[in-house]
Amino acid sequence: MSSQLGQLRLISSVALRNLWLDRFRTTIIGALIAFGAFLAVIGLSLLNDVRASMRASITQSVAGDLQIYSANAKDSLTLFGGGGFMGRADIGNLPDFAPYRDEILRHPNVAAFVPMGLDMAVLARGNELDDSLDALRSAIKGKDSAIIAGRVEQVRFQLEQVGLELTARRQLSADQAELEQQERDLKVAAAPEFLQDVSKIGEEKLQFLETRIAPLSGEKLPTYIQYFGTDIAAYLANFPKFHLIEGTLLGPGERGIMLSRKVRDEQLKNSVAKIFDKIHKRLTKRNQSIAGDDECRRFASDLKKQYQQILSYLDRADAEELSRKLTDLGIAAVGGDELVQRLSHQLTMFLTVDDSNFEQRYSWFYANIAPKIRLYEVSPGQTITVRSYTRSGYIKTLPLKVYGIYNFDGLEDSDLAGVLSIMDLVSFRELYGQMTEASRRELDVMRAQVGIKDVSAENAETDLFGSERPATTVAANDKKEAAEPLSVKPRLADQFDPQEVQRGLALNAAIKLKDSGKEERTQQELLAALENRGLKANIVGWQKASGIVGQLVNIVGGTLLFALAIIFLVAFVIVNNSIIVGTLNRTREIGTMRAIGAQRSFIVNLFLAETGITGFFGAISGTALAVLVIILAGRLGIPAGNDIVTFIFSGPRLYPRVHWTVVTTAPILITIVATLASVYAARHAAKIQPADATQEKE
Amino acid sequence: MTAVVRISSVEKIYPLGKTQVHALSGIDMDIQEGEFTTIAGPSGCGKSTLLNLIGCMDVPTSGEVYIEGLPIAKLSDRELTKLRLEKLGFIFQSFNLIPVLTVFQNVEFPLLLQGRFSRAERQQKVTALLAEVDLTAQQGQRSSELSGGQRQRVAIARALVTGPRIVLADEPTANLDSATGERIIELMKTINRTHKTTFIFSTHDPQVMRQAGRIIRLKDGKVVTGQDS
Repeated sequence: MSSQLGQLRLISSVALRNLWLDRFRTTIIGALIAFGAFLAVIGLSLLNDVRASMRASITQSVAGDLQIYSANAKDSLTLFGGGGFMGRADIGNLPDFAPYRDEILRHPNVAAFVPMGLDMAVLARGNELDDSLDALRSAIKGKDSAIIAGRVEQVRFQLEQVGLELTARRQLSADQAELEQQERDLKVAAAPEFLQDVSKIGEEKLQFLETRIAPLSGEKLPTYIQYFGTDIAAYLANFPKFHLIEGTLLGPGERGIMLSRKVRDEQLKNSVAKIFDKIHKRLTKRNQSIAGDDECRRFASDLKKQYQQILSYLDRADAEELSRKLTDLGIAAVGGDELVQRLSHQLTMFLTVDDSNFEQRYSWFYANIAPKIRLYEVSPGQTITVRSYTRSGYIKTLPLKVYGIYNFDGLEDSDLAGVLSIMDLVSFRELYGQMTEASRRELDVMRAQVGIKDVSAENAETDLFGSERPATTVAANDKKEAAEPLSVKPRLADQFDPQEVQRGLALNAAIKLKDSGKEERTQQELLAALENRGLKANIVGWQKASGIVGQLVNIVGGTLLFALAIIFLVAFVIVNNSIIVGTLNRTREIGTMRAIGAQRSFIVNLFLAETGITGFFGAISGTALAVLVIILAGRLGIPAGNDIVTFIFSGPRLYPRVHWTVVTTAPILITIVATLASVYAARHAAKIQPADATQEKE
Repeated sequence: MTAVVRISSVEKIYPLGKTQVHALSGIDMDIQEGEFTTIAGPSGCGKSTLLNLIGCMDVPTSGEVYIEGLPIAKLSDRELTKLRLEKLGFIFQSFNLIPVLTVFQNVEFPLLLQGRFSRAERQQKVTALLAEVDLTAQQGQRSSELSGGQRQRVAIARALVTGPRIVLADEPTANLDSATGERIIELMKTINRTHKTTFIFSTHDPQVMRQAGRIIRLKDGKVVTGQDS
């Protein structure tokens, strides 16, 4: 035993001395291994951090740890950016989720069950004149003549602009007859007496403006919104990444929607503000310049065409004031007395930006223009109209009150995950096409009003013809109601019984676990438990459920591991070569050892010991350096350079942590790998013949 | 007397490009236990080849070499190595100490390879031998700090530490001045007498040859004189 120890001591002491004797080479190899260890520890730690933060972002925003959905699904569940036909995946539904929930909640590792339904719909959008007419309509209801006068003035100012647009269109339009009709309509509306007497602005005039004039101001492209309906109370209690930015939370039993900030910023914000924001972001966050960046140049050239987006929101007084302010800013008014033309020109000049004036124009816009226009098409408190194609194919339109604007912390800028809006489950079911309690009741009321009743065969004659009631009167009174398809405008109450979301239809549900480390085991156990009860369903983990967003972690990880593999391969080759070259200088020494009785294995062990020791100390120092860097980076945070990195980091900065599993296993593994890397070279050295001991040094 | 080394019809042919070099051809000889034998001859005559064969560092192309009656031609590399470790000692022309080890460690090295002695036993053996070659004072030094004569004495101690039956020395005095060389041969002779160790060494120095008990002369791979004593 003591002699084996002696041999080990001999090997290590010869190895150490050789390393010292050859310190330059030792340092190079050690540094190489240290560099590899440094990259491996940093890379793997960051990967763990990214994985953890993305996991948190995804599981704590929508996905939960597991997702359950119908066993009859045709497509697989994809929470973010998924979809089958027209972006809508057919994942079937759970007609009543309650039995599933009850069974799942029985599992000791399940913390919560949150029913959901994912879908998309069209957000109906009016143009600026529609908005002004809406405002006028509510002012008339309010009966404050000063306010009404203000609104009338705004409408008139916009009619002037419509007039200019029509004149411009005259040169382009092929259908002169239609155009002349439009001009006649506008002439009627723009006549001073049409809106003169505030008390005489009745429904008829308003409808004329809405149906004949407003469409002349152009249609806006419809906006698709992706949303999910859920049991809001359960959702808010279990998904901490939800972050309300503006407005109020949707309460239990309230019908409404909370819009994603990203969707609102990108699709429902005034386009002048939007372009200003985009340029500003590229200049500040990416250090670009307008002159030097194609994208910025394109934005800048779009910007100066957007003056209409400011003009159409102003009334005459605001327009006069803005024109004056712009003149003060040094943008002189040209083009005569005509306010619209004058201001159009001034705004075009104002919106012509370059590197020298951009920051000034940007802040001037937000200080002086933004407060006068409607910055967002939709704001909390407003009611929007959402139109969906139900599963049975007909169109369902539903007014929804916007409660708040929110984002998911960490997924703010994600094109896929950052665009979901959230509504209550009752509204969701309505848009999905399911007959809810409320619409059933409403339908009953309508039936009663219209006079529909069940008629049995034997009483048919009496019921239908023998009645003394003047049935025609009823029909006449309700003609308007009856003419409308019943499903088109269900007037759902703004409130519902919170019990309605405790059972009934859901498309899928998030399952939150107490110990998320046991995700796969719990998944299997839940499936088995449901099976036992005769309940069939699909249960998938968060990563699968979140589709490509969840896969991104794997892609990032795979890329990193690939890069590490390449680095190690290169290090492998360099270590190997350097040892083989080293053996050439040591032929006589090795030959001597062999001559005086050292077995080949002794030589192999000696060489392995040499790289093992170099590898160990290299790996330890590389790891130590990596730990220092991680600690430092953990204090300062690593800034995310662009949107993709922001998404991968799940926030603007990543604060890396020291992962002790990585720190302890990486140096051991690297030492082993470095040692194994020298096996070939060591065997090569062991082939030196004892007779080579007599070779003279050259 | 028994022959510790027997060489029987040994031929050694090295390939050299497309031709072959007959380093040794038809060598027959016995070396008895306790002999102090020198192999002499001009360079290229096959001295080193013959020593390598006796030293089990090489195997003959044909014929057989017996060490204490054991034929070596069929032995594996592992068995040859073991044979070298247990029965043979080596002294090299350029001393061939392991540069990174001290005098003591160099001498201890074969004992550690043998792996059957305790630390105390090793200490005792090494110290005794170092005293015998008069290097007790230098035992902690590196070989690079020693003179040529001192280095060769370390090499002698290393060759003897395992108690080998045969010590082979390839031109042990070639890198030493004549006075030192003489003292080294003197030392080897003393050990030959006291330990009964068989010494076989090569040289081309007539002064050294004169010290030998038997001279085997080689020329062009063949034994010229001293075929058998």
